[in-house]
Amino acid sequence: MSAVAAKNGEAAAPHVELRRVTKRYGPVTAISDLSLTVDKGSFTALLGPSGCGKSTLLRMIAGLEPITAGQCFIDNLDVTDVPPAQRRIAMVFQSYALYPHMTVRQNIAFSLSVAGQPKKVQNERALEVARILQLEPYLDRRPAELSGGQRQRVAIGRALVRKPEVFLFDEPLSNLDAKLRVQMRLELAKLHADLGTTMIYVTHDQTEAMTLADKIVVLDKGVISQVGSPLELYNAPANKFVAAFIGSPSMNFFPVDIAAINGRTASVVLPGGRTVEIGIAAGAGARSAELGVRPEHLTVVDPKDPAAAFAGAVAIIERLGNSTILYIETAVGQLIVEGEGDLDAKSGQTVGLRLNQSHARLFGATGATL
Amino acid sequence: MTASVETGADLVAPLASRRLARLRHLDLVGLVITLVTVVGAVLWAFPLYWGLVTTFKPEYEVVRPGVELWPQHFTLENYAHVLLQTKIGLWYVNSLITSGAVTIIVVMMAAGAGYAISQLEFPGRRFFWWMILASFMIPIPALIVNHFILMSQLRVINTLAGVVGPQLIAPVTVIIYKQFFDSVPKDFREAAVIDGASEFQLLFRIYLPMNWGVTTALAIITFIAAWNLFLWPFLAVSSEDKMNITVGITQVHDAFGVSYGRDLAVAMLAAMPVAVIYLIFQRRVTQAIMLSAGIKG
Repeated sequence: MSAVAAKNGEAAAPHVELRRVTKRYGPVTAISDLSLTVDKGSFTALLGPSGCGKSTLLRMIAGLEPITAGQCFIDNLDVTDVPPAQRRIAMVFQSYALYPHMTVRQNIAFSLSVAGQPKKVQNERALEVARILQLEPYLDRRPAELSGGQRQRVAIGRALVRKPEVFLFDEPLSNLDAKLRVQMRLELAKLHADLGTTMIYVTHDQTEAMTLADKIVVLDKGVISQVGSPLELYNAPANKFVAAFIGSPSMNFFPVDIAAINGRTASVVLPGGRTVEIGIAAGAGARSAELGVRPEHLTVVDPKDPAAAFAGAVAIIERLGNSTILYIETAVGQLIVEGEGDLDAKSGQTVGLRLNQSHARLFGATGATL
Repeated sequence: MTASVETGADLVAPLASRRLARLRHLDLVGLVITLVTVVGAVLWAFPLYWGLVTTFKPEYEVVRPGVELWPQHFTLENYAHVLLQTKIGLWYVNSLITSGAVTIIVVMMAAGAGYAISQLEFPGRRFFWWMILASFMIPIPALIVNHFILMSQLRVINTLAGVVGPQLIAPVTVIIYKQFFDSVPKDFREAAVIDGASEFQLLFRIYLPMNWGVTTALAIITFIAAWNLFLWPFLAVSSEDKMNITVGITQVHDAFGVSYGRDLAVAMLAAMPVAVIYLIFQRRVTQAIMLSAGIKG
């Protein structure tokens, strides 16, 4: 729920709603029977690997892509057949799509100009937006004379000037270098906090989704895998796909046998023969499963330590300063371990790994979390 | 030490001679190419020079046998005659009006048609595209009788409109526009659609301005082609007042018959605006010729 909605004392109302939406391109189904609600004032990220249908979904909300079946509502109005310009949305494209022959001022004021607004209004509004985005010194430059970050801001400005109900972002930061991306991420977060407008943000970068969004929709092959807050997705993934997609470095998976299930705990036999108790919510009767454990939930210990669940040889060490990533060859395959920045380890060294079992998850044969 | 120096010298000598040989070889090829180019340039430029020199000769010098590369008696009489005794001013104006109209209408129509075929979805789009492609495979002179009949049925023979009409068939221009509009990333279109732009606004505020270079190049070669056109204006117009400058040349004669000096003087004056345009917009013209050559294959 957004800060603004909370301030006004309103309950979060669905602002954008997709009802049983399907999108087909000839025989190919890109989106299949998908329903989704986006709360007013929220920052929702559509996250997924390339080809999962997240951009198609955004383009259907924008009205750029006709919906094969189903309905799209914005502010409780059925906009399924309403042209993009009348949906009160604004979109920021990955390529920015700044008109190269126009100045920053003209780019920002383009929507006002095509709507026939007087020059004075156009100038005032362009200036107002430029002030918010710190673009005032560049108003008379052309896009080619701007840096990547400035272009990005002009693209946002062009969306901002329309005072839209909903902002749509289609991977807006992917053309920027890493440092600028972090900076723009902060600016977007600030913009959302200031405006309180509903924002829908498509990205394949889970860091962007996790840091910006209050709700993340993870898509896989045109179907919603899970919807939740960043921490929900991280700590309680609904399935193996979400577990693997969220988090960097990625979660470790390996097959295990289930010895017994007692209510909400499963006794799992690790490949070394050791038995651990893992919390479950479903999956009574399962005999085998896949155990997922995040790199920070494996701790490097002495191989002779009685608490060590596995032993293995360090293959690669990545020192990131604040943390150390170890790639360890074990009997169950390569496991990634994240340790302290000053972790003492050498390549080739044999180490033991302790499993933080309260954070481990079991995934059934279909990939769903047990 | 000494030994190494000797070895070095032994190595350097054949290397140097080989390099020299290669240089000589290169020079020879370069020389041949330069000579061929010079001969080509002379062959190409000589008629122009000959024409220009002729305009400064009195008529008896023009018609007497032998090749004279320079006038014996320099005269401006030919220019004085065509400028003062003929309707060359009117012909210039007619050429300017018809070529200007052809240029403006062709560019606007072709941009519109190219945009529609490139960007819009409508029934018959493919059919129109194939029609345009097919129409440029038929040489215009093959249709000239049909054009004449059509224009006469429209009752525009012997008018400037009749001169302009058949010149508006410009499939190549449509094809070039279509290809340029095809290459505009679709994000630009979608961003403008979300901003509420109509198709006309899209064409005139985004697609055309983003391709100004093509438009100027196409406008220049369309103008030059229309200015230089002879056959159709010659057939379409019979009264001297409606003639283009190219057709006007045929009117420069008197009771004693054709005067070559005067004819060439009109031709030189007719060619002058085109030459000036070419000199000013050299790069654009080359670009346009390359564009249309690329399509014509």
